[in-house]
Amino acid sequence: MPKGIGRIKIRIPRKIKKGAVIPVKALITHPMETGFRKNKKTGKKIPAYYINDVNVYYGDKLITHCDWTIAVSANPFMSFYVKADKAAPLKIVWKDIKGGVYEKTVQITPE
Amino acid sequence: MSKKETNLKISRRQFMRSTGLGLACAAALMSGALPGLLGKAYAKGTKSANDAAGAESIKKVLRKYFGDRKIENSHVNLKLPIIAENGAVVPIKIQSDLPMDNNNYVKKVYIFVEGNLNPYTAAIDLSPANGKADLAMRIKMRKTSNVRVVLETSKGKLYGAVKSVKVTIGGCGG
Repeated sequence: MPKGIGRIKIRIPRKIKKGAVIPVKALITHPMETGFRKNKKTGKKIPAYYINDVNVYYGDKLITHCDWTIAVSANPFMSFYVKADKAAPLKIVWKDIKGGVYEKTVQITPE
Repeated sequence: MSKKETNLKISRRQFMRSTGLGLACAAALMSGALPGLLGKAYAKGTKSANDAAGAESIKKVLRKYFGDRKIENSHVNLKLPIIAENGAVVPIKIQSDLPMDNNNYVKKVYIFVEGNLNPYTAAIDLSPANGKADLAMRIKMRKTSNVRVVLETSKGKLYGAVKSVKVTIGGCGG
């Protein structure tokens, strides 16, 4: 994996009440290159390189899916919500157009 | 560098700096209303005076995704900065009080940036397990334009909101 790409941080609240709708914040490092930029020295176009697919699994169920384009900012940040009705892992999987797959899992444990 | 260049996200900043057009472009705004099927309330927003010939018109884009379906201008709160200093990182927050029940929930959220060459920016598929249709992201804006979101429910209803965002490129805000 190229340096500096695919570093992930996922934040969920520390205390989770069963059934509460909790915010999930996820950040991943990725250039999200649009394909429009040119290398200043060579004049050549820097090819597009971006995350286009994101899947969120709660337990074994896919609960959220994202379709992203080049218009999502570099080092994409996303915040969404999950109804914490069960103790289960929350897994987020990001895929980019070069076949790169990045994932991280956090445990949701309602009290 | 050709004036007609269409690589318009981050490199536009370089272009603007080198030709000094940045301030002039940011100031060129013309108010207007989108006619027809979108309805008056939903058509609120500003139209940039220098809409590049290459940018797909938002009308065409909305028709492509939603046909002639009516988009209600309610139940969606769209938060965006009035002025985005950096068009490459514009924070967007979408909030809605629409239910997320098993038989009635927001199943998809669309984000469109009118001034981008391809206004379709992202779509998020949700499920009742999300509990809330609230989202936040960071998006790229090529220039000052409207940002529109459309929420589609499992029952096929559409709700939307639109906001205009000024994008300053380089230098201090405004």
